[in-house]
Formats: sequence, structure tokens, C-alpha cells
Amino acid sequence: MNFHRRNVFVTFCFGVTWVVAVAVGWRFVLNYDSAAGAVGTVPQKWPAHSAIHRASDRMTLVMLAHPRCPCTRATMGELARIMASAQGKVNAYVLFFRPKNSKPDWDNTDLRRSAAAIPGVTAISDVEGVEAHLFGAETSGHTLLFGRDGSLLFSGGITDSRGHAGGNKGESAIVALVNNQRPALNRTMVFGCRIADQMKTMKDAICSK
Amino acid sequence: MLEIVDHAWEGRTSTGRADELFQQHRKEIYEDTDRLFGRFMAIQWVGGILFALIVSPHTWVGQTSHIHLHVWAAIFVGGAISAFPIWMTRVWPGAVATRHAVATAQMLMSALLICLTGGRIETHFHVFGSLVILSFYRDWKVFIPATLVIALDHFLRGIYWPLSVYGVLTASPWRSVEHGAWVVFENVFLVMSCLRSIREMRFIANRTAALETSERNSRQTFEEAPIGMAVIGLDDRFRQVNTAFCKMIGYSEEELLSRSPVDLTYPDDRAETRRIAAAMLESNAHCSAEKRFVCKNGEVLWAMRTGCLIRDGAGNPRHFLIMVEDITQRKKAAAALQEAKEEADRANNAKSEFLSRMSHELRTPLNAIIGFGQLLDRQNPTGQQRGHLRHIIAGGRHLLDLINEVLDISRIESGRLQLSLEPVCVSEAVQEAFDLMRPAAVERAIDLSVQPCPELHCYVLADKQRFKQVALNLLTNAVKYTPIGGEVTISYDVSNGGRLRLLVSDTGVGIPAEKLSRLFTPFDRLGAEQSEVQGTGLGLAVCRRLMEAMGGSIGVESIPGQGSRFWIELPRSAPAFGGMVLRSVGRFRAPDANNGKRSILYIEDNRSNVMLVEEILADQAEMELIVAFNGESGLALARQHTPDLILLDLHLPDLSGPEVLTELKSDEIMRRIPVVVVSADATTRQIERLKAAGAHSYLTKPLDVEKFLRAIEEAATPSEETKECVAA
Repeated sequence: MNFHRRNVFVTFCFGVTWVVAVAVGWRFVLNYDSAAGAVGTVPQKWPAHSAIHRASDRMTLVMLAHPRCPCTRATMGELARIMASAQGKVNAYVLFFRPKNSKPDWDNTDLRRSAAAIPGVTAISDVEGVEAHLFGAETSGHTLLFGRDGSLLFSGGITDSRGHAGGNKGESAIVALVNNQRPALNRTMVFGCRIADQMKTMKDAICSK
Repeated sequence: MLEIVDHAWEGRTSTGRADELFQQHRKEIYEDTDRLFGRFMAIQWVGGILFALIVSPHTWVGQTSHIHLHVWAAIFVGGAISAFPIWMTRVWPGAVATRHAVATAQMLMSALLICLTGGRIETHFHVFGSLVILSFYRDWKVFIPATLVIALDHFLRGIYWPLSVYGVLTASPWRSVEHGAWVVFENVFLVMSCLRSIREMRFIANRTAALETSERNSRQTFEEAPIGMAVIGLDDRFRQVNTAFCKMIGYSEEELLSRSPVDLTYPDDRAETRRIAAAMLESNAHCSAEKRFVCKNGEVLWAMRTGCLIRDGAGNPRHFLIMVEDITQRKKAAAALQEAKEEADRANNAKSEFLSRMSHELRTPLNAIIGFGQLLDRQNPTGQQRGHLRHIIAGGRHLLDLINEVLDISRIESGRLQLSLEPVCVSEAVQEAFDLMRPAAVERAIDLSVQPCPELHCYVLADKQRFKQVALNLLTNAVKYTPIGGEVTISYDVSNGGRLRLLVSDTGVGIPAEKLSRLFTPFDRLGAEQSEVQGTGLGLAVCRRLMEAMGGSIGVESIPGQGSRFWIELPRSAPAFGGMVLRSVGRFRAPDANNGKRSILYIEDNRSNVMLVEEILADQAEMELIVAFNGESGLALARQHTPDLILLDLHLPDLSGPEVLTELKSDEIMRRIPVVVVSADATTRQIERLKAAGAHSYLTKPLDVEKFLRAIEEAATPSEETKECVAA
């Protein structure tokens, strides 16, 4: 009888703990998924020091990505849809972060390969995130669209939360711009891993100057 | 009434047992499914962690990586969701709360999966799959918490975090309703499935309970059967034995189950036992045979073993079922009885032989005593001498009566008495006896009278001389033991059984009831030896034996002080019509007794032919000849005696031979008796016609003795069919 009552009591306590733990954990997960990444100082014009060639006869799309960020997979899917809609009206570059002294294939991941496989997209290594810094991108998946004159038309993420594929505002805005339409907005939040260690990158940049 | 009560009790027990089985089955399902979910949720948890490690193992900051939050979520949130129900399945397996906790947790796992995959529509199938697995419980109530949890999850997240559940930033509340509706849609069918499963489980429980009851009854019947029963496998090993068999054979059940029946069989009977088993395997016939077992204590047990082969539904042999009855005592008693009978027969034969010789030795001097006494009586003796001579002659005659009666008894008991049964006119026989006794009755002033019978000329089937002897004996006793001036009446009528009853009533002293049973005992005169009435004490004993020999019966009713009524009964007969004789050839037997002899009925009107057949069969001790001189009498005798063979002449005074044959073959019993036609008509057409009418064979006159005996031997030997009919 005592054993039975003790078990009931333990079960009740365990049950209450269970409900609380699940609720807290759930809340934490939801918060994380909807937490946007940091955005640096985004240039309004094409950065002059950028090593990337900007086309003058069409728009240029630049995406800064971490080659190992799992959340960016959904972003690549959205990029493929944008490129399909653009019908050759955009030159697209995906710049993958690569540490300076790393092996050459450090950024040769499935993410890079899937980016390279998208028609009209050029995958380039961004050693030490120099280009990312120039474009003001700090979070993987940050996408920028520049016009023929080099002016910034759009900046932000093309997913609505971490790793969530599907229609979203960023993608809609870019597609509208490419098709010479007025977008609903030209700034969105970016969800993903940080591309580079901010402090280290800045330090290196200062040193290089 | 008791049987009805028993059945009612059994019915209640069966229902209760069915409920018990149903609840037990349900509990097993709950516990099994709990254990299944306990393992499944653990695997699901680990699987979720592995999936997170594969898909999104790290989150990156430049070249620095950290464990991705999804991995931690899979570990901790998944663990938190799974831990409690897993623990519940361990601590409270089968409890209602456990399966509801499992249902809730499983839906939370679905919700987490949907959330972590960003609302991928494919992951929504986890919900439907989980509901199906929950239906393993066969408890439709588990769908309530599951549906509530998933509906609430979709509703809340649809409002506040639509991206995490539908993969879009904004979602209409109707989308949650739609998702919930699909869940309800599936639930409807799962609930139907559960209810159907429960109905089937109850049906199975009812049937199992009924089978258990049936099995228990069968087992109880087997176990408590008063005769030994055993099931023997085709491998010649005991499979099952009951208590009676164990007690009979002296071995315990365990000991028997490790043995072969052949091991317990008496060595001389083993080959026969194997042969019977092989015969049963080849046919479906049951087999009964006597055999001997060797008991554990070494004693030999005689048993009547009846066995049969039990086959399965497909007709393949499964095992033997044998029933064993201990007949050791019966065997011993039969052996003792046989020995005693043989001993008694030997003694009886010795006695009869002794009496026969003594009677011869006594008759010789008696002949001289009575004869010379009578001669002297004729030679004018003096008055005193005449008195002495009459004493001598009376004593000699008494001694002669005594010897005759002793010889009659002896002949009857030794089976050497010859009787000639024929229709005897009762009124004539009674009148003769009456005439003989009248002088003695007059001498004692006894009123002797005959009461007329309504049926003046009724006939009985009897030996006329012996019938008269019995009637005279009864009248003699009545006259002797009735005081002077008394009354003696002789009457006869048809009894209730259709037999003729002859009654001799007197107004004598009567016989006490306690002495009536001794009345027919030889030499027991019930104390009359102290009186002046002379007698041997053998008369009634002889009467009884004669009546039994003629197929009749004798009895007495007496009231002391008022008188006695002696009666005899005999089968009635048709009037003599050409004559009808039953002769015992060789040793006599009573007509209805079965002493192993074969009886032959000869229906023939020509006395010369009858005598010839009697002479032919005189040396055949195992055959008895019954003769009928006409067709009607032949049919009557055939019905009465059911002989082993009928010899039939074709030219009879009343019915023709073919008519008699037709009548015989139309009777259900007599049609099995072989009929051999004996006739001088030897035309082929006649022979074929009678054979077609059912005659066994056809013998032509004049008879060839050898051929005649062969034909009789062949026809009188019972066929298998006849044996079966007789056995039946």
C-alpha cells in the first residue's frame, strides 16, 4: 500500500515536472528558430574594393554564406526558385566563407555544390570573409541585389526563419525587383549561422590596412 | 431438475470466465502496447538525436563550430517528452494513465518534429502514423488526449508561430481546423477499428471460455471415468492416462507416460496387441479384445480392452483411445464356475450311473418280491397271510414307485430323458387322470370333480405320457393330503399369457408360506414323513423337471387350513393334424435352452421318411431333430424354436412346400434359417424356382446318406451374416 502511494506521488511529481520541462524546452526551441542573425553595415552602392565582377547589363545578386551552415540549405532552395524566376536577368554569386589557412576543400561542401549546380549562379570562396565584410553580411544566407548601376536594391534573408523553406517576403521582393516590379519591402531579417568571427575579421582587416 | 441447475451454473461460470479472459486479454494488450511504446519512444528519441546530428550537427561562427541547437533540442526536449511515458510504461504498465501519457507524449514528439523541420508538410504524417500505432491499444479513449494535444498545438502555433507548424508566416485559423479535421477523420476509422477489435476479443473470449468448459468436461469425464482410459500416440507411447487406469495397473501417471503399452503387456499377448493396432490403423473399426497386462507388482491383470483410432479433421491418424476394464475377477470366477460345473457334472454323472445300476439291481429282486407275492395271494392264503402278503406287495410297489421316480429324476438331470412333444388334447388327458384317481377319491370320500373348460378341445404342446404323469401326480397329492370328506377340483383354462393353465385345487391342510420354497426339493416332504401318508418326496420334483423339460412351468398357491392350488402352464398348440413330434436324438435338451447343439426342423408328412432321417441322424450327437407332419405345425415350430436348419418336403397335407417356404422367407427372423428342400420332384425347373424363392439347396429322394449329411452340415453351419444377426 505504501509502495503504491509512493509510486502515485512520484508519478504525480514526475508528471508535473514533465509538463513544465516540455513547455520550457518547447518555448526555447521556438525562440531560437525565430531569432534573426546580425546584419553589418550594408553598402548602398556596390563596394569599390570588391573582387567580384558586377555586370552592367543586368542585376547582380550576391549571397554571403557559411559553407557548413545547416540552416542555409533552405536558403539555397529559395535561391534556386529566384534564379528560375529571373530567367537570366540576374548574375548571381554565392560567396562561401573560407578561413585563411584552411585546406582548399574546407568550403567544398554539399552546400557549395548545390549552389554551383543552380544555373546562373557562380560559387566563389570568400577567404577570411573579406567580401562578406565589404557587403556588410554577418549571417549566412544574407542576400543582396544590386541594380545595373550598382545601387543596392535589396538586402536581407530569403527564408522567414532558421532553415524554414517555403515562400517568404525576401524571395518575393527579389523576384519582384528582377521583374521590374515594386517590392513590398527591400529589407528582411536574416536567419542562419554567423559567417565569421566579427572581432577577428575586423582585426585582420585593420592589420591589412 | 438437477441437470438444469447444473447447466445454469455452468452457463454463469462460462460467462464469468469469458469476462475474465476478455479482461485478461485486454490487460495483456495494454501491457504489450505499453512496452512497445516504451521501446518505440526510446528508439524514436535516439533516432531524433541521430537525425539532428546528421542533418544539422553544428552551428557555425566562422571556422568555429558549436553543437546545433536542434541537437540539444532533440536531446533535451525530446528526452523530456519521452522520459515520463517511458518511465510510466515501466512502473505502471497497463494503467489507463500510462497509455494516455504515451498518447500525449507521442503527439508532442510529432509536434516537435514538425517544428524542427520548419513545418515540412511531410512531417505531418508522423501524426497520422502515431495515431495508427496508438490504435494498437484497441482503446479508443487514447485518441482523445492525442487529438486534443495535436489540435491545441496546431491551433496555438498556427496563431503565434505559424512558420513552425505550417512553414508560412501567416496562416488562417481554418488551416488548424482543417488539420484537426483530418486527424478526426482518421480517428473515426481507428475508433471503428478499435470497437471491432473489442467485439472480436469478446467473441474469442466467449469461445475460449466455452472451449475451456468443454475441455474441462472432457478431461473430467476422462479422469473420473470408472474404467481405465488412455490415449496412446502413434509412436506407441502413452500420451494421457486416467486415474482408474493408473490404479488398475499400479503405476503412477508419470511412470506410465514414460512407457509404451507394449512394455506393460503380457509377453504372450504382445504380438496380438501389435496386430490389433495395425488393424485399427488400416480401418476405422473399433476393436475389443481381452488381453493381459503386467502390473507394477508383477501380477497379471486380465482386461477387456476396447480401442479406436482417433483421426484429425483431415482424416490423418492422431492417436489411439483405449478403454480398459479389469476382468480379472470375472475371469477367475468363470474359471472357478467352469471347474465347479465340470466337477458337478462329473458327480452328477456318477450319481446317475450309480442310480441307474442300483435301480437295475433293485428291480430284479423287487420283481421276485412283488411277483411271488401276487402268486401267493392267488393261492388262497389265510386271512392273516393275505394281510401280510398285501403289506409285502404294497411295500414292493412303493419301493418300485420310488425307484421309478428316482430314475426319472436321474434321467432328467443326466439329459437322457426322451420326450415326444405333440399336440395333446387336455380334456382327454385330464379325463384319463380323473378316471384313474376316482377310485382312490371314492375310497377316501373325497369329492373329486372336473370343471368343464369353455374351450372343450384345447391342445398343448407336450409329451402326452409325461403330461398325464404330472396331472396324475398333482391329483394323487391332492387326494392323499386332503382330509376325508374334502374336495379336489381339477380345472383348466387359458392364462393371461395365452398359455394353458391346469389347476388342481384341494381343501387340504395347506402349506405354510415359509415351506413353499422347499416344495419341489427332492426327498423333502415338508414333515409329511411323520404322518401316515405314504410318499417318496420325489413326485413334485419330478413334475417340475418334466414341466420345464416340456417348456412349461409349475407353481403353487396355498393358504394353511384352507387348501392348496397347484397349477401347471404349457404352450398351447394347434389341434393334432397329421401329428407333430419333437424327438430328442441323442441327449435331451429343453427346447429353449441353448446347449450348443444344432437343431433341425423336418417338415414331412410321411412317417417312413421321418424314421429314415431319424435313423440317419441318430449317430449325430450334436444334432437335434424336430419333426412336423404338416405345414402349419412346421411354421409354428419354426417360430417357437428358431432351428438352425429346416428340411422341407414339398407335398404336405395342409400347405404346399413352396407356400411354407414363402411364409418362412417373409418372416423377419425365420428368413435367416436355411431351408433345404427334400423332395422326389427332381425337375430342373422346380429346383430353380425353389432356389429363387430362397431355398438354400435341394435334395432329391431317394436320399444319398453321405450327400444328405454333407448338405446338412453345410447348410446348418451359421454364415457370418447369421452370426451378426444373432449377436445383434
